[in-house]
Amino acid sequence: MSAIKKTGKMLTATNKLKNEMGRHFLAIEQAYRDNKPTAWATAGTPVEFLYTMDVQPMLPENSATISAALKKSQDFIELAETEGFSYDLCSYFKTNVGAVLSQADMSLGGTRKPTFMLSSDVICDTHVNWFQVQAERFNVPHFTIDVPHVVSNTTNRQREYFKKYIIEQLWELLDFITEVTGHEYNSEKGKEVASNSFEMGKVWQEVFELRKNIPCPVSTRDTFGGLFPLFTMTGLKSPIKLYKRMYREAKERVDNGIGALEQEDFRLMFEGIPFWYNLKFFSNLERWNAIIVYEPYVYAFTKYTNPNVNKEMVLNKPVETMAELVLSFWYIYDLETRVKMFKKTVKDWNIDGVILHDNLSCRPNACGMYDLKRRLMDESDIPSLVITSDMNDPRKMNETQVLNQIESFIEILRERKKK
Amino acid sequence: MKKMGKIAIWDSAIETPEEIILAADMVPFRLFGDPTLGIDKANEHIPPNHCVWAKNILDQALNGMDSDIIGLICTHGCDCSNREFDIWLECVNLPFLFFLNAPLKRNETALRFFIDDMKELISQLEEHFQLNITSEKISEAIKKMNHIRELLREISDYRKKLVLKGSEFHTLVKNVQQMDKNKALEMLELKLEELKAQKPQSNKTLKKILLTGSVIDDTEFIRFLESLGFHVIIDDLCIGTKYFWNNVNETEEPLKALAEYHINKPIYSTKFPSYKRFETLKDLAKKFDIDGVINIAQKFCEPILYDHPYFNKKFKELKIPYLFVEIEYNRESYKQLTTRFEAFKEII
Repeated sequence: MSAIKKTGKMLTATNKLKNEMGRHFLAIEQAYRDNKPTAWATAGTPVEFLYTMDVQPMLPENSATISAALKKSQDFIELAETEGFSYDLCSYFKTNVGAVLSQADMSLGGTRKPTFMLSSDVICDTHVNWFQVQAERFNVPHFTIDVPHVVSNTTNRQREYFKKYIIEQLWELLDFITEVTGHEYNSEKGKEVASNSFEMGKVWQEVFELRKNIPCPVSTRDTFGGLFPLFTMTGLKSPIKLYKRMYREAKERVDNGIGALEQEDFRLMFEGIPFWYNLKFFSNLERWNAIIVYEPYVYAFTKYTNPNVNKEMVLNKPVETMAELVLSFWYIYDLETRVKMFKKTVKDWNIDGVILHDNLSCRPNACGMYDLKRRLMDESDIPSLVITSDMNDPRKMNETQVLNQIESFIEILRERKKK
Repeated sequence: MKKMGKIAIWDSAIETPEEIILAADMVPFRLFGDPTLGIDKANEHIPPNHCVWAKNILDQALNGMDSDIIGLICTHGCDCSNREFDIWLECVNLPFLFFLNAPLKRNETALRFFIDDMKELISQLEEHFQLNITSEKISEAIKKMNHIRELLREISDYRKKLVLKGSEFHTLVKNVQQMDKNKALEMLELKLEELKAQKPQSNKTLKKILLTGSVIDDTEFIRFLESLGFHVIIDDLCIGTKYFWNNVNETEEPLKALAEYHINKPIYSTKFPSYKRFETLKDLAKKFDIDGVINIAQKFCEPILYDHPYFNKKFKELKIPYLFVEIEYNRESYKQLTTRFEAFKEII
């Protein structure tokens, strides 16, 4: 291993993320001033179509993470619980309910009444239920995209009619947007937006490629920190510049043998959504010279992960290609594909161990995790650890317990390295 | 006579077209939980905060399925159905497993998709078991199932007449969902004759309730409610009216008719828009002149948990007494709820 020089750990470019977030919030403010249509959208929906049709998107999930980062999520969650929403329901959802009830400012994770709502069950049923709750409260129209679930024995024949069903719904979505806003789909603008979206996803994937290097130039501070535009600004030009800067900086580190850590002893994968109220938790890994070099959750949102989808398809067949992408979305891989992709990633990124976040708020992601762990360990001898916590509800994190688990895990990895 | 194989059904929203299984000369056999079981093996696969009912069924399967069961159809209800299906595929020893994507939405596009998915189910059954499932046989099965539905509707009315206890009716519907349908028809016809000869109960202190919520498959729970002075006069449950509320159109092309039947029947909380379930509940409350509504959520049953605050608000507006209770899936926990149910009984 080459000599590792000390760095400031976080990429300088990532600090510019605040500017991008600010740009997004300003665009929302401007949309309200201009009386331009706005829409709430859940992760996994085609935000590109909203930008194409001149509708300003707002993603309450990302707003919820802001509340968490500012230590506001617990208050909002508890407020939602006084409304009758169970302790066991999704903490993003309850953060949003509480933030709306409190009329919280956008800078604190609030989201304003939109013109309409767009959800999908591609990731979870919660998205659909969440927007049903809020669409009723705001009295706004709600369109949902039903994505058939791919399971481990889904055949290619099935995938074809699954895709057909999604395509039909995407056309219906475009009609719905026109009906609600009066805006028509402009294919020229659609191409521009799709091109930007594709480029952004690809640059982000290139950043991940650089993380294959030892030492790894980019840590979770940059990836979790830099995630926001992947959800909210897909189709815009400005975040591409930011990601390109991140890439250039990371490349420079690679060329100079510089890692994000001063000393890199353990390379880890982290599966699941992080604890947004306690991102500093990940700094604890540094005490063991451990670094997370791959997060499937972050990678999933580069969107263009399907090798059968190329730029030409994205530009020329936006609806059909979007259906294909939605159907092959990383975050919701069936168990068999999940195991296969994890094994490949562990090999390609030289990963020593996998940490799986059994997120109490994200049952679809957590389900199958025990089997994933077992198979990684039994079939490929990949050390894996399941930790239990919550993405947005600090009440559900036992930091000491999780830290102790990780410390023991690192000890196992250390022993393995000695062999 | 050769014993017919059973196709197990794992379905939280009762949208599996049993007619297709019947047309394959097999017995549809719906899986139920067993609240007397302590969960063991399923805990190695499913985290503690996931649906207790689904976990219970998986646990039973991991301990070995009935030898007559030759396959399983899992029908999409909520998130846990598709995610847990992969675990079934890997860990449960069955030669045939199919995941049916019963659509989330209730429109023409969803209808077409549902037909495509049913066609795929038929193809896979035919390919795997080397048989031929004809339209004629499906039509025949539709007629049989419609007859069962009609009988169940008629029998259900005896709950209203205070002749039949909710728990007895629950047992009947449960049995129908697991037994040979010819035998089910005989059983229902006999039961109907028996009921016609019976007189109503004279207990005027009984509180008539509309029961709603998650899958409630433990008849003992209904008996527990009865022991406290409640009478389930009507329900909108899958072991209840959702199983027989409408008939399948016998003059329509059979797969289209089946898809229409499931898409048009009263909506369940796992489908969109689930708030429409309230409309059904409101109509039932009015029609059956109930004293109150009891909404039961199995622990961690997200669809019910999301709907509850809305139902609470709407029933308040209508001044219809409404009780929401989240229950553990074990009988020991029922008694702990006695005070809540008794208090509800007092206010209605």
